[in-house]
Amino acid sequence: MMRVILEVKEQVKPNLPIEAECITPKNFLDPEREFHVWKGNKEQDLTDVFHVRKDGDAKTAEQVEITIRGDSSHIKRVGEYMDGGKILIENDIGMHCGNFMSAGQIEIKGNADSWLGREMHGGTITCHGNAMDYAGSGYRGEKQGMRGGLIEIMGNAGDFAGETMAGGEIIIHGNAGDMPGVEIKDGRLTIMGDCSRPCGNMSGGECRIFGTAYDMLPTFRNEGPTTIDSVPVTRFSGDYTSRGMGTIYVKNCKYMD
Amino acid sequence: MKTLLIKNAYVIDPIQKISGETMDIAVRNGLIVDDVKNPDEVIDAQGMLTLPGGIDSHTHICGTKVNFGRYMSPEDMRAGRTSRRGDMHATSGYSVPTTYGNSYRYSKMGYTTLLEGAMAPMEARHTHEEFRYTPMQDCLANTLFDGNWFALQAIQDGDTKRLAGVLAWYLSAVKGFGVKLTNPGGTEAWGFGEDVHCINEPIPHFGITPREIIVKMIEANEMLNLPHSVHLHCNNLGKPGNYMCTLDTYDAIPDLNDKRQSLYSTHVQFHSYGGSSWKDFCSKAEDIARSVNDKPHIVIDTGQVMFGKTTTMTADGPMEFNLYRLYHNKWSNHDVEMETGSGIIPVQYRKKNLVNAIMWSIGLELGLLVDDPWRCILATDNPNGAPFVKYPEVMALLMSKEYRDKEFATLHKSTGKRVILPSLDRELTWNEIAVMTRSAQARALGLVDYGKGYLSEGAEADIAIYPIDVATTDPARDYERIINGFSSTEYTIKRGEVVCRRGTCTLEGNHATYWVKPHVSPEYDMSTDTAFIDGFNKYYSIRMANYPVGEEYIGRNVCMETEASI
Repeated sequence: MMRVILEVKEQVKPNLPIEAECITPKNFLDPEREFHVWKGNKEQDLTDVFHVRKDGDAKTAEQVEITIRGDSSHIKRVGEYMDGGKILIENDIGMHCGNFMSAGQIEIKGNADSWLGREMHGGTITCHGNAMDYAGSGYRGEKQGMRGGLIEIMGNAGDFAGETMAGGEIIIHGNAGDMPGVEIKDGRLTIMGDCSRPCGNMSGGECRIFGTAYDMLPTFRNEGPTTIDSVPVTRFSGDYTSRGMGTIYVKNCKYMD
Repeated sequence: MKTLLIKNAYVIDPIQKISGETMDIAVRNGLIVDDVKNPDEVIDAQGMLTLPGGIDSHTHICGTKVNFGRYMSPEDMRAGRTSRRGDMHATSGYSVPTTYGNSYRYSKMGYTTLLEGAMAPMEARHTHEEFRYTPMQDCLANTLFDGNWFALQAIQDGDTKRLAGVLAWYLSAVKGFGVKLTNPGGTEAWGFGEDVHCINEPIPHFGITPREIIVKMIEANEMLNLPHSVHLHCNNLGKPGNYMCTLDTYDAIPDLNDKRQSLYSTHVQFHSYGGSSWKDFCSKAEDIARSVNDKPHIVIDTGQVMFGKTTTMTADGPMEFNLYRLYHNKWSNHDVEMETGSGIIPVQYRKKNLVNAIMWSIGLELGLLVDDPWRCILATDNPNGAPFVKYPEVMALLMSKEYRDKEFATLHKSTGKRVILPSLDRELTWNEIAVMTRSAQARALGLVDYGKGYLSEGAEADIAIYPIDVATTDPARDYERIINGFSSTEYTIKRGEVVCRRGTCTLEGNHATYWVKPHVSPEYDMSTDTAFIDGFNKYYSIRMANYPVGEEYIGRNVCMETEASI
């Protein structure tokens, strides 16, 4: 078992973004590997940004646990292409956390910035705080977003959660913002709180909304009442601007005035 | 007075009928000369294949629709990023790269002249602005006339001379080079929600047929004595069974010019489809090639498809709309008032898709079945068939049966029943590849008179030196070496200066835009024709005085003046 503790050093310019895609469990298996991060337009060594402590040995990525301490809210791309092991983030984390990850676990004690778990294929991400926009979605122009795995957000999510999602599951325990599940193709998006304008141009998959969906789109057809886990909900099929192959279960819904 | 001497070059120059001679090439002031004393720079090209600079006679690299392709595909922009290095700017994009990306990558492959395949006249400014930032190549722009109302009006009235006058005014106003017809009549019909399905079907409003448009345009083109012939994208692109339409079109073409072809038919692969639907879709390359072999006044380019992601862009609006209904992905269509239209769709060609595998085979079949390489040009209709960086692979496929068979084995298993490619044993020679990638283009575009496409005294010193030793390379076996060798030159020389050395571009700014200016008699000068001026100011959203592209937009340029017979 290897434990890596990365403690963010005090930054002279704390608002400068730091691109740290090298922080994945697999990369720490190689003792010779050099770790570089980009801070603004300068390339720096990992030790310029973090106090690094490494204990123990590991043969596979699964045996590596990385802990990130301190103010990590401007550290981007942590866990990109991660394929096993665990990353624990004790505070907030910057954008693009868990990009393209295929296995392993990321736990965020604070809030996550936008693009959490963008285009991920597998593994789990748990965020105990709020997540910003585009959780589990595809990046600009991409046809498919998240394709597998699980993102669980204990707080609220921003706009466009699960945009172009094509598999896997997203659970948002708080509210979601505007347009969750836009262009969703497959997978399941669960929102325990409220949201607005869900699932525009949906072409497959499932969305469950246990709060109120404001400004429901008129291109979904009301298929009548049903229940999920004994909660009474209304089933909608749509989006009929596309082929209408998706399903929304919603507890309360309101159309735009 | 910069001088340069290239020693011991192994030269293939088909225009001068040099096929593999070791010789020295002397350059002074950007031109090839007989000899130089005490040259400023000496390049030893011992054991390296030396060809005239490559010419792409149909590519989409600059202009509004290319730019629309860029901004509707951010994922494509992420696919091909390179960082700033030395004199080179940062670039991005794979199938629709930034202008510098296009220029550097073409230069790396030894290309020194590019023809933008379709420029909407009204949006010419944008094209010319992007030409200025394509610094390693001379650029030319084919100008779209397929739905031009004044041109269609003249055809409707049966007045070919007036049609020639209209063409002349537009070409010199927008600094264009050739006459391009994209789905003649079809794009205009699409403005009325329709399309044309063969060349004998009249288009709405004007009541004329695509056949009349094509033939009259060719006649008008020859009246103006333009360097290039009419550049035609036939009707019915990409539809199963469209080969009949293509054959009908070829049969209708008159032979009006004894110096060069009367018709340049572009991306013919997309027009050589048999069958009645996608289910019985098959190759008709044999029929098309036979027709081309019989008609010395027609030159084609293959429009090869290669597998992978790319972006289709054309002025053929209805075709792109049909593609959208197949793919249901993002889509853009655009109407250019009074003139033409366009459409853009990202696509992916897959080996395991039967239709795509047949398309790939048809392109190669055309390259192998047309006997005369001077009349069958290698192109992918970049980026419609594939991005131009795939050219070296296309060359290797044409030169090696072994490579073709190896690739063919990876395709959809039913492909063999629909194409004849596996039965073709022809392997193109170095000479034929040199013809198909530069000399034929220079001749078809009429650029030989302007010093392009050959390496004798007086020619422009556009030279590509490839790290390929012809003596020890058997193209049929060493196809990997062909691909690597043609992918990256040892030196690319543009107007006597080394602009690219092993992929590192070093210098810029020595390029020019070529455009034509036909001189017509005052009777057919549209700038003083009251009917034309009235029509223009009535129907265009801009004033006629603001329409022409000023010289300040085009920087260094070469004006090709011609004397029209009207």
